Amino acid sequence: MARSFYALQEFAPAPKHFSLLPFRFTRFSEKELLVNEAGEFIFVAEGTIRKLLDGSIDVTSGLYRDLKSKQFLYDDTSSPLLDLLATKIRSKFNHIYGGTKLHIFVVTLRCEHSCHYCQVSRQTAARGEFDMSTTTADRAIELMMASPSTHLTLELQGGEPLLAFEVIRYIVPRAKKAARIRRKHLDIVVTTNLACITDEMLVFFRDEEVKVSTSLDGPAALHNMNRPRPGNDSYERAIEGIERSRSILGSKNVAALMTTTLASLDYVKEIIDEYVNRDFHSIFLRPISPYGFAVKTKHRTGYEMQQFLEFYKEGLAHILEINKRGFRLTEVYSQILLSKILTPFGTGYVDLQSPAGEAWNVLVYNYNGDVFASDESRMLAEMNDLTFRLGNVHRDTRRSLFTSPAALKMFGASCNQALAGCSDCAFQPYCGADPIYHHATQGDMYGNRPSSGFCARNMEVIKHLFSLIEQGDPIIMRIFWSWLRIQNSRNEPSECD
Amino acid sequence: MADPSVGRDHSKAVVRVETALVSIDALMKTCYWFSRDFSCGIERDGEDAARVVLSAKDHVSEDQIASVQREFLAQAMDFALRERIDARTSEIRDLLLAKAFSEAGVLEEKPSGKFGDAIEEMKPDGMFKILSNAQR
Repeated sequence: MARSFYALQEFAPAPKHFSLLPFRFTRFSEKELLVNEAGEFIFVAEGTIRKLLDGSIDVTSGLYRDLKSKQFLYDDTSSPLLDLLATKIRSKFNHIYGGTKLHIFVVTLRCEHSCHYCQVSRQTAARGEFDMSTTTADRAIELMMASPSTHLTLELQGGEPLLAFEVIRYIVPRAKKAARIRRKHLDIVVTTNLACITDEMLVFFRDEEVKVSTSLDGPAALHNMNRPRPGNDSYERAIEGIERSRSILGSKNVAALMTTTLASLDYVKEIIDEYVNRDFHSIFLRPISPYGFAVKTKHRTGYEMQQFLEFYKEGLAHILEINKRGFRLTEVYSQILLSKILTPFGTGYVDLQSPAGEAWNVLVYNYNGDVFASDESRMLAEMNDLTFRLGNVHRDTRRSLFTSPAALKMFGASCNQALAGCSDCAFQPYCGADPIYHHATQGDMYGNRPSSGFCARNMEVIKHLFSLIEQGDPIIMRIFWSWLRIQNSRNEPSECD
Repeated sequence: MADPSVGRDHSKAVVRVETALVSIDALMKTCYWFSRDFSCGIERDGEDAARVVLSAKDHVSEDQIASVQREFLAQAMDFALRERIDARTSEIRDLLLAKAFSEAGVLEEKPSGKFGDAIEEMKPDGMFKILSNAQR
């Protein structure tokens, strides 16, 4: 008697009906880009969304299987795996757990530079007048340790913090001791222009495991134009400081950041080449900060933002070519966004968090004890805008800082899930809210998205990255994934940074 | 269907939309995104339709007006799609977010079916035991 197999449908029955899981969408170069609540995405042909809504999609197609595997829909042949999707969503919001991680101590406002984009330095101030007192430092350390986070980062800033080295020498061992007692892991970084670094300071940093972060705006002419100081030798001093710091601290403990100014916008390749020539392996093409100039008009903001976007795209293309030639160079802004797009994880970069990371993930303790939600809000205070001053270390507890009127008002505008324009945006899982930026540029924490430089910039950069992902060049994707592997494998900077 | 062809004043675009296809809420969301360059007004046009008047804040050409009308309609239809998606998925979205942000174990689902290694369970001295879950 002949035997026969059952038809294939007996072993893998086609679903009789399917149900949608939540997603948002946007139109993207004649395709539809769908993004679910966990930030997973899929490019589909135009008209697919209507087919999904009408129930007319072919359930035996590869497209259907892709949509199901990425949890855009589920059907009666399998569990909807809601717990799995909820876990992915929770991972995306990981930054809201654990309390404030980054604590910035402004140890002095004194500085010997006159950087065009800085509003806070006191060039001619006498020693002590604008330095953090030991009493303030002790109280700030207490508040820092009150954070529930088991992993803290203490960032020592200024002005120029090395001008108040005695304050740093006071704070560091006390902070480390307090962390040991509370069994918290503490990283310490000093952000400095390196113009007055000495070997004594570097030995102290080496012995206390303090990392150094400095500014390098590009080649000498650009750097010195951005950062004037007596003798007009900021670049030369920075380079000498970088080399000395590397020799004593090790390369992995010395990092550099650039500040993008209007003058920088025409020299993106030169800036990147400077970083390569100085053997840095990461560069952050940061957007222009509006805080120094309080831009109010949409026309001026839009003009600068369009220039920045051209700067970024040209810079990213140049960086990708450098990577293809065998020199690993990570573009940090892209790395942050790619991490949110391509992996289940969120980001520690407060500007791209929702709920916004200001206060929640960073606190700034000014030299006089005032506590701010971010460094940008401290800069606003220097322009007599105290909107984001949460309190003072001598008066407040952690609870009162976080329940202050300033904090509560800001928290109300911190979730892009509930902001006009953002609530329907396909890029919502990748973006943030930044109420401080919108307050500074538009006079309104909630912001108006159609005229928001923050929105325009992030939307355009995300679209640009998606266009590269959609093109699917395997070399570019390999470069992108190498940047993400570096990010995930380190809490320490890599050896080559 | 929506009718874009009403009124081509050089600084205004007028769009007539059937509210059965695109709700007033969807029109308002679309107007929000055009508000940088246009002042937007929405008014009822009979029982079944609405008129949207987009007044340019800067001078625009007639070709640009036609383009704005087309773009406005396209975005309005997309917002109508988003409303349909939201209507079908808002409840499960609320459940997902509740699961995501609840305490561990509170809203997690028990796995369905029976699992366990019946052969190993029969061995009293076996080193590995994957015990069957309790059945309800």
